[in-house]
Amino acid sequence: MIILSLLEITKTYSKSKEFAVNKVSFDVEEGEILALVGESGSGKTTLLRLIAGLEHPDAGYIILSGQKIVEGNLSVPAHERKIGMVFQDYALFPHLTILENVKFGLKYVQGDREKIAKETLKLVGLKEDFSKYPHQLSGGQQQRVALARAIAPNPKVLLLDEPFSNLDAMLKDQVREEIRQIIKRSGVTAIFVTHDTRDALSTADRIAILHKGYLQQIDVPQVLYERPENPYVANFFGKMNQIIGVPTVEGFYTPFGFMKDDRAKDFKNRVRILFRPEHALIKKSHDQYLNGKLFKVAYFGDHQIVKLADEDGKRISIKTQPNKKFNPSDRVFFTLKEFLLEEAY
Amino acid sequence: MELVKRNYYWWNRWAGFALLILLAVVTPIGTILFKLFEKPGSSWSHIVDNLLFGYFQNTLLLLIGVALVTFLLGVSTAWLVSNYNFPGRKYFEWLLILPLGFPGYIMAYTYVGILDYTGPIQGFLRNTLGISVRGSLIDIMNLPGAIFILSITLFPYVFLISRTSFLQQSKTLQEAASLLGSNRLNTFIKVALPLARPAIVAGIALASMEVLNDYGTVKYFGVNTFTTGIFRAWFSMGDASTAIYLAGILMVFVFVILYIESLQRGNKRYSFNASSHKPTARVNVSSGKKALYFSICATLFAVSFFIPFLQILYWVSMTYHKVANADFLMLIYRSFSLAAISGILVVLFSVVLLYALRLSPFNWVKNVTKIATLGYAVPGAVIAVGIMIPFLAFDKWVFSTFFPNYNPGLIFSGTLFALGFAYVVRFMAVGYNPVDAGFQKIGIHVNEASRLLGTRSSRTLWKIDLPLIKTGLFTGILLVFVDVLKELPLTLILRPFNYHTLATKAFDMATNEMIAESANAALVIILTGIIPIIFLNKMIKNREV
Repeated sequence: MIILSLLEITKTYSKSKEFAVNKVSFDVEEGEILALVGESGSGKTTLLRLIAGLEHPDAGYIILSGQKIVEGNLSVPAHERKIGMVFQDYALFPHLTILENVKFGLKYVQGDREKIAKETLKLVGLKEDFSKYPHQLSGGQQQRVALARAIAPNPKVLLLDEPFSNLDAMLKDQVREEIRQIIKRSGVTAIFVTHDTRDALSTADRIAILHKGYLQQIDVPQVLYERPENPYVANFFGKMNQIIGVPTVEGFYTPFGFMKDDRAKDFKNRVRILFRPEHALIKKSHDQYLNGKLFKVAYFGDHQIVKLADEDGKRISIKTQPNKKFNPSDRVFFTLKEFLLEEAY
Repeated sequence: MELVKRNYYWWNRWAGFALLILLAVVTPIGTILFKLFEKPGSSWSHIVDNLLFGYFQNTLLLLIGVALVTFLLGVSTAWLVSNYNFPGRKYFEWLLILPLGFPGYIMAYTYVGILDYTGPIQGFLRNTLGISVRGSLIDIMNLPGAIFILSITLFPYVFLISRTSFLQQSKTLQEAASLLGSNRLNTFIKVALPLARPAIVAGIALASMEVLNDYGTVKYFGVNTFTTGIFRAWFSMGDASTAIYLAGILMVFVFVILYIESLQRGNKRYSFNASSHKPTARVNVSSGKKALYFSICATLFAVSFFIPFLQILYWVSMTYHKVANADFLMLIYRSFSLAAISGILVVLFSVVLLYALRLSPFNWVKNVTKIATLGYAVPGAVIAVGIMIPFLAFDKWVFSTFFPNYNPGLIFSGTLFALGFAYVVRFMAVGYNPVDAGFQKIGIHVNEASRLLGTRSSRTLWKIDLPLIKTGLFTGILLVFVDVLKELPLTLILRPFNYHTLATKAFDMATNEMIAESANAALVIILTGIIPIIFLNKMIKNREV
């Protein structure tokens, strides 16, 4: 069941003419974890704040569990949305104890608030004395309190702003897994923002890629990796080779030779041909195949990376089996199993 | 689909309250600007012919003189205490701020007393050395005297702000300069001074605002400036529109100073690399220089605070049995409660303005709320006139509309309400800035987190924001309290008939040849003024650490 829908959400900030978020639409399924991934300035945090009700969009709708919460100039204020949020700096109330922090959001919750707060703190795995104050805790413990505080009132959607950015690399893997477990166990729908694709790949069920305010693609990780809709998305996950092709009726002329392809006739201008290192297959010599001069081979145990150069010295990488032997200055022939075409103006 | 009709996203009650406060605060200045387009009063031509040039000349000379002297006194001592080790340096850092607690008008008549025929200096000369001087030893009741008095009370503004700037300059910059063969003095002139320039000019601008605001000193010394002109037009000639014209010209001075200040600052916001942000190491100098630096600071402190303070204490010891009675206690009580209420109101309004800004989705609101703090740049006499006129008009309208046969009296004009309102307008910035700093320090996220947890904005303010900015609130109230206690020109114009505050009482007695008796009220004002100075200096110190 869809719990949250964004429809053509657009937001500009008065200072710049550029869109912070431009016509972004997507749905979020109940219980899933969605990652919003993008560089800084891609609009990912703005999207989070729009959903929370901390900002108001210039245009578009937001629907939360069947109710429009944003339309035109009208808006359900943040305190009535029942949305939880974990801020990047945690934003714990410094003058309240851990327990008071968690109880703060339970004011309108029925039942034994103290018990709910304590249970939630146990759920996030905090073993400290609950009467301590936030400044007495480590960064990681503070994050758990922030998480407990956000999920204790049982929000419809949980938002997390860069939840892994303040952790050191050693801890990251462990924390990612733990936070995923906590969210899944509490059953809450979660949206988190990150600039690190590894965070997204390891924690999220689905990933939305944002670039300069535009939603590029939203899907499960496998699809994003294997069938990226555009070069930006493709580049986000792993290395992408890029060569220039000049279209003819039958195919493309490239610095690495002629490549037969029916789609060539659809292009007037030069194109960029993009492919991943593992999507190029090294073949025996053949005049129909692409080829380049061997530049360097790097051995990685379970695979090798072969670097080829064209006449101008431009290089591409190909991933191949570890047992293939190469000689210096060999001419290496290859075909492309999968690639993307993009007009190069 | 069901549309959940809710609030307009840009509207909340805070915005409404903020708008009301803004409107009230802007009214006095707006009135002055508006009335400038009306015909001048009957005495205007007389003023233009006989007095205007003198007002202009005196005001300008006073400004230039005070700017120069405060620059010399403030920057030199700031450089000494931030760069050299010498005996007492640590104490001079805050002793040299104390003169700020001395209102100019009190300093003025204290110095007249010191130099007087019956004063300690002449007494000493006469009784011990047998030298007799006729009249005053040095006549300071003139323009240079006014420059002297205002400079020794206002130089701490320049001292304080340039000291902070010198301390912020990184050690590496000065080390680089000395490695390039520059000596200490050369480094000061070529590196430290240009870097501190924006701060120094800001300090001088602050001092200049106080000069334009001053009434007591120039009045007592018989130096005619725009402020005394406004009083003369208002009280002696009873000519409101002439007072407005003079107020309007005075405002031009203010705008020019503000403009120069912002112009020279420009985009130059010298930033100091955080990693090289080590405090400047203080240099040990020869004992001769140590003695010299000590005596420079000690002399300035003696002249600007210690000697006049002793004089006040002496006067108090002579007269307290005459003055310290129930009436005097009542005077203290009334002044303190007026100042406290003003402080609380200013901080309350600041919280509303800043909270509206905090919740507002629009950036430009920031600039609008800033307007509320303009009052600090506007001389008290101008604000007083700007408040008196709409209040008088309102009273008149009420009586002519509702009680046509009734003897027109006062509703708002000449009441404590008008006076308190004027204090709020004048000292809004004083309370606004610490509250603003408090809000900025805690950031917006705790507020947002609270609202996302289902707490409405008013409860969030009460439960989260206010407890976290307690220090800022307290600082704001304290600063406004002290400023109100010292305030003279505005109080003189707006106070109810025969109503006295400590400041007006002190001034009244001093101008009526009861200088020694006036010292009692003065002492209370000075002692109260010193508290926040010490308190604030501690806060700045803590931030440095």
